[in-house]
Amino acid sequence: MAFALEFFLRRISQGVLIVLAVAFVIFTLLRIAPGDPIRIILGPMATPSAMEETAERLGLRDPIPVQFLRYLGDIARGDFGNSFIRGKQGGTTGGSQDAAGAPPVERAAVIELIARALPYTLLLAACGFLLACLVSIPLGILAGVRNSGWPQKVALYLSSFFVSLPNVWVGIVLIYLLSARTGWLPAIGYQHIGYVVIPAIVVAVELAPVMIRSISVAVATNVQDPFYEIGQVRGLSARIMLFRHVLRNAAVPLLNSFGAQMIGMLLGGLFVVEYIFSFPGIGLLTINAVFQRDFPVIQTVAIFASTVLVFINIAVDFASTTIDRRLKF
Amino acid sequence: MAAEPLLKVENLSICLGSAGAARPLISNVTFAVKPKSVLGIIGESGAGKTLLSRALVNWVRPPLVITAGRVIYRDRDLLALPETDMARLRGREIAYIGANPTTALDPTVPVGHQIEEKLRTIEPGLSRQAARKRVVDLLDAVRIPSARSRFDEYPFQFSGGMMQRAMIVDALISNPKLLVADNITQPLDVTVAAQILRLLRDLQRDFGTSIVFVSSSFGTIVDIADEVVVLDKGSIVEAQDTGRIQRNPVHPYTKDLLAKVPRLWHGVGSIPEANAEPVVLSVRDVAKTYAVKDRTSLFRKNRVQAVRGVSFEVRRGESLGLIGESGCGKSTLSRLLSSLEPPDHGAIEVNGVDVATLRGAALLSMRRRFQLLLQDPYTSIPSHVSIGATIAEPLRIHRLASGRGLREQVCGVMQDVGLSPDLYDALPVGLSAGQRQRVNIARAMVLEPSVLILDETLSALDQVEQARLLDLFDNLQRKHGITYLYISHDLAMVRRACARIAVMYLGKIVEIGDNETIFGEPAHPYTRTLLSSVSTVEEKPFLPKDYLLEGEPPDPIHIPEGCSFRSRCPFVIETCRNVEPPLSPRAGGSAAACHLGLDRLPAPSIVLKAHNGSDLKRMDSL
Repeated sequence: MAFALEFFLRRISQGVLIVLAVAFVIFTLLRIAPGDPIRIILGPMATPSAMEETAERLGLRDPIPVQFLRYLGDIARGDFGNSFIRGKQGGTTGGSQDAAGAPPVERAAVIELIARALPYTLLLAACGFLLACLVSIPLGILAGVRNSGWPQKVALYLSSFFVSLPNVWVGIVLIYLLSARTGWLPAIGYQHIGYVVIPAIVVAVELAPVMIRSISVAVATNVQDPFYEIGQVRGLSARIMLFRHVLRNAAVPLLNSFGAQMIGMLLGGLFVVEYIFSFPGIGLLTINAVFQRDFPVIQTVAIFASTVLVFINIAVDFASTTIDRRLKF
Repeated sequence: MAAEPLLKVENLSICLGSAGAARPLISNVTFAVKPKSVLGIIGESGAGKTLLSRALVNWVRPPLVITAGRVIYRDRDLLALPETDMARLRGREIAYIGANPTTALDPTVPVGHQIEEKLRTIEPGLSRQAARKRVVDLLDAVRIPSARSRFDEYPFQFSGGMMQRAMIVDALISNPKLLVADNITQPLDVTVAAQILRLLRDLQRDFGTSIVFVSSSFGTIVDIADEVVVLDKGSIVEAQDTGRIQRNPVHPYTKDLLAKVPRLWHGVGSIPEANAEPVVLSVRDVAKTYAVKDRTSLFRKNRVQAVRGVSFEVRRGESLGLIGESGCGKSTLSRLLSSLEPPDHGAIEVNGVDVATLRGAALLSMRRRFQLLLQDPYTSIPSHVSIGATIAEPLRIHRLASGRGLREQVCGVMQDVGLSPDLYDALPVGLSAGQRQRVNIARAMVLEPSVLILDETLSALDQVEQARLLDLFDNLQRKHGITYLYISHDLAMVRRACARIAVMYLGKIVEIGDNETIFGEPAHPYTRTLLSSVSTVEEKPFLPKDYLLEGEPPDPIHIPEGCSFRSRCPFVIETCRNVEPPLSPRAGGSAAACHLGLDRLPAPSIVLKAHNGSDLKRMDSL
């Protein structure tokens, strides 16, 4: 108990620092990188004085640390700001505003935009991850236990094949085959659960090779550990040893590669896939926000993503040390 | 004992590989195990002992192939049984315990739970509570302290000895008819090994289990077995009952094996003597404490007192032995001495210079004079670098040689340690453990050190190779005047190699003296306990019944008040509980930390003559 309490206190306080650092870097980079959001808000015909006025009003002419502190203060009050571009209904208003501009309250709160997009992303991520698990867990375990023979070959060939497919290409081919050509499945946008199938397959194809590889390596390492064979000499069946002991031990490196590698891949993959399929999740929101220099949206998504990563890693480490008490974090 | 044998091995042969390229490892082995008796199998490393003991539980995996023979257990040939039937015998009627208990169980599940899991697999009807109770009772029976709480502890929290007890519980929980014990005492400290042997004898008597006890130590086999089978290069050369094989071994190999058993008291040969050269290494009141996270409380750390005030001196060209059980602080001390870590307090002086004051170039050149050799010859040299380059590396680091001179120097030192210079460009892949250890020695010697710290350097080697390397160390010492610090738990080796010996217990030196005093007339009960626990084939002056105690040293976090040995000392008096005995000098430069005088300890059971070189060839009468 004391261990868990101390662990979470320590790790969460470290995590907050990491998220703050990420937020500051993103915040600064956005403002020093080329591309003026005012030009996009007001459109190409705006006068310099109107642009200056809008920039002043949005606080973009203050020194960056001042802007950042103000931003943090707003977040502390639960206000992640409003989009520069998007209206309440979610449509883009950029370029159509006059010099006075619609008052900022008319534009959508970032938090609402994210809340609207998040369920779609979670659905896609869950389906993609589940699909990847369905293929890679059985195949990875089989390949790990039988270090020679067909499961290992299948695993190797399948993951080499998958890993060499760019997800953009897979997406387009699948749209052509499953949607345009045959009309079996819808592909663009989202109206019902059917729209998630093709993008989920693309996400799964990206995740599966990494998962097959890590699972088979982790299982193979533990099958070679003396306790696996000795367990059978002690009178336990190979089945019990595999499912109760080898998988338990293999879970630790798997959790770690999940926390460190796969979550990152999943996030990155989602962005691309959502964009290809116009899938209305966080990824699409973010990519559009980047094109439109919509600072508040980009910042919030970055903070949100780093928070998710930090917390998943805290959870992974806690799970690892619960499974294997030798580990110290 | 005219009963039908429980297990019969008939004409068993095992080969490595198949068909034409097959290399026989076990040839035509035949023996029988009587019910309720202990059969000892002895042989040197590489004789095929482990393979044979695995064949008894039908655990031989490719590329090893059983080419002929039968293993008959109660009228059934185990080798011909279908795997499912064999699985029904393994762990139930036939149990197996291996040499390495620390890797035998799943490291992530508490020890007791795994034994319970096995019990409930074997007897599916048993309730969790009943199974748990049986495991705890048996853990109690093998004298694991506070068995109930130990039940929930993980393998890494068990010491080697405790873990081997747990494996014995695991084997005996199903009341097996036959127990195959493969070298189970080898990795253990002498005191613990002696306890395990005694335990196994008691259990064998109580449970009526037959035991096949495999070992490479004659002393251990003699201690436990009723009958002995001698295995040489995969064949049985002699089989007799224990008493007879000690008195009249028939086969030359058996005689040789018996003669090679190191002697501690009878016919030990010449013993190194202390000299009067200047002091090279002086250690004064050195201490080291590690802080370890305490899982049960918030932000608290436990203080592990690994070394608690150690002082000694070593003279030029002298060998000092540091002995003690695992966990007594030997290895921490070697880390401090080789300045891998600084001590918390106290001073280490080399030729009168305090090491802690050295920085930069001065420290580097001091390190050059001070080399450390470790136990594991496999992990201590890189496998992808040629032998010559490995040995040459220190010269490059210290910028002592380059080009042709470097190669010559390396070849010279290779010849010195008995490695052919032809190996210069070879990779260490095919080298034996002994040859690898020679590479290590060469790598240290190439810097012409004045002090070598040998931290269990010879422990991983078999007796023959050990003896060769000890000779090598002797020669090098004579040639270069090197000072050795042997850190070891091997008493026989220390007896042969060291002029002075220090005994450590729980981070302190409890006794220090010259070789003759420590082995002949030790004044500390712990020294005597160590000597009484050695498995030998000779008569011992200190008997286990007087000294050997159960249990292990207290953990170095909670060291008891008073004398640190009092929790295991059979002669404890009132003073010991409160007053920590200082290391008080005795005659002849020896010192012991004990409140009791020699007169209050039992007299040695045999009187030893003073040894000298003259009785070198004298053989033992047993």
